[in-house]
Amino acid sequence: MLSATDSSLFNFATVYIRFARWLLGPLYMMMVLALYGVFLYAPTEKEMGEVQRIFYFHVGAAWNAFLAFFIVFLSGVIYLIVRKKKWDHLAAASAEVGVIFTTIVLCTGPIWAKPVWNTWWPWGDPRVMTTLVLWLIYVSYLILRTSLPDGEKKYKYCAVFGIIGFLDVPIVWFSIRLWRTIHPVVITKSGAQLEPEMTQVLMLSVATFTLFYIVLVAIGVALRLNASLLDELTQKVLDSRIKQV
Amino acid sequence: MLRQLVLIWVVAAKDLTIEYRSRQAFLNILFFALLILIIFNFAFDPGSRATHEAAPGILWVALLFPGVIQLGRSFQMETEEGTLQGIMLSPIDRGVLFLGKFFANWIFLVLIDLFILVAFIVFFNFSFSVQLGWVVLLIMVVSIGFTAVGTIFSAMVSSMRTREVLLPILLFPILIPIILAAVNGTQEVLIREETQFLVQWIGLVIAFDVIFLASGFLVFDYVVGD
Repeated sequence: MLSATDSSLFNFATVYIRFARWLLGPLYMMMVLALYGVFLYAPTEKEMGEVQRIFYFHVGAAWNAFLAFFIVFLSGVIYLIVRKKKWDHLAAASAEVGVIFTTIVLCTGPIWAKPVWNTWWPWGDPRVMTTLVLWLIYVSYLILRTSLPDGEKKYKYCAVFGIIGFLDVPIVWFSIRLWRTIHPVVITKSGAQLEPEMTQVLMLSVATFTLFYIVLVAIGVALRLNASLLDELTQKVLDSRIKQV
Repeated sequence: MLRQLVLIWVVAAKDLTIEYRSRQAFLNILFFALLILIIFNFAFDPGSRATHEAAPGILWVALLFPGVIQLGRSFQMETEEGTLQGIMLSPIDRGVLFLGKFFANWIFLVLIDLFILVAFIVFFNFSFSVQLGWVVLLIMVVSIGFTAVGTIFSAMVSSMRTREVLLPILLFPILIPIILAAVNGTQEVLIREETQFLVQWIGLVIAFDVIFLASGFLVFDYVVGD
């Protein structure tokens, strides 16, 4: 009869979960440390004031959003070569976390930009616009995912879209930059000289976000492995029922 | 090499013959584009300075939105009639199939776009001048990138239930850089009457074209193959 060890999938999901659980302790510690660093340790910026502290969350999320989308691209390429569905699961989990992180970037950005640049949304800043286009591309990636039933076709299509979307990013960047030289946007960069304490906190914040990303992706992959295992087992049970009848 | 070119032409000629024999789709899409141009003239104050300056943007909306419909049809017909299987059985490379489909779509779109351009000049009161050559060039290069990405996605969504809405959702985020280039390049030619950044915009579009034609050629096997 059936046993849980029938499929190798089961073991893999547990490995991912165990891995994520093992990282939870360090992650919590780093989060508390990073919060302490952001709100108490880092000095207040002279010109921008307290609002500048949003910078640590903003950059941490942005860096990891780019990492996440790079992983989507990479695992798409690997999937098309080796055709193992775990690579699609990795791409899917990574894209979801990437979209969440990009959303964080796009929400914290205006809160910071309004008092500093006196505008919520600086159309024409290459970084802002590239992030916005990234968000659009990967939201449509997730829409594509939900529109297809599980199976090899879905994995192939999503891999192709993930690759095309990522190849688009540098072109978007250059197009916005060219656009901006034509319509200059008045944004004075307040001197990006960071105090040493600020740099330390920034590094810690980016590291914390990266660990957070890894944990979320591990859980996301485990979730998908378990879902396909469940499908497989359901099918087996149905098959054995049919045989009995 | 020559054989491949002939095969590309065979695939493209098949699609173009179908379009030529019915002509229905061509006229429908042209009419839709015409409607967009006219509705924009109602939406904005016709003849005003603001409308004049927004005209390049309006032109490109009227070129791209109907274009998506044509791209969607490209593989929908094949799926509905079951002819895609026939093509897949024929001994041609999938990359060649992609280039053939791409080429037919491109010719179709450029032809429609030229008609729309004439209507646009009349409705928005521009003059027929040599400068228009730049706009025609922009239309041709932008259509390459638009059609290349559109052909890949069209093949992907053709068998899906939500294809009508999915195709523009997938396509437009990717197209943002060339839409930016198209609108700004046209603005330069028609409104500011200069060509300072035009070459850079066209260069950007050509880079986009090359990247996505090449990636379409490489990944098309995964999109239509089993």
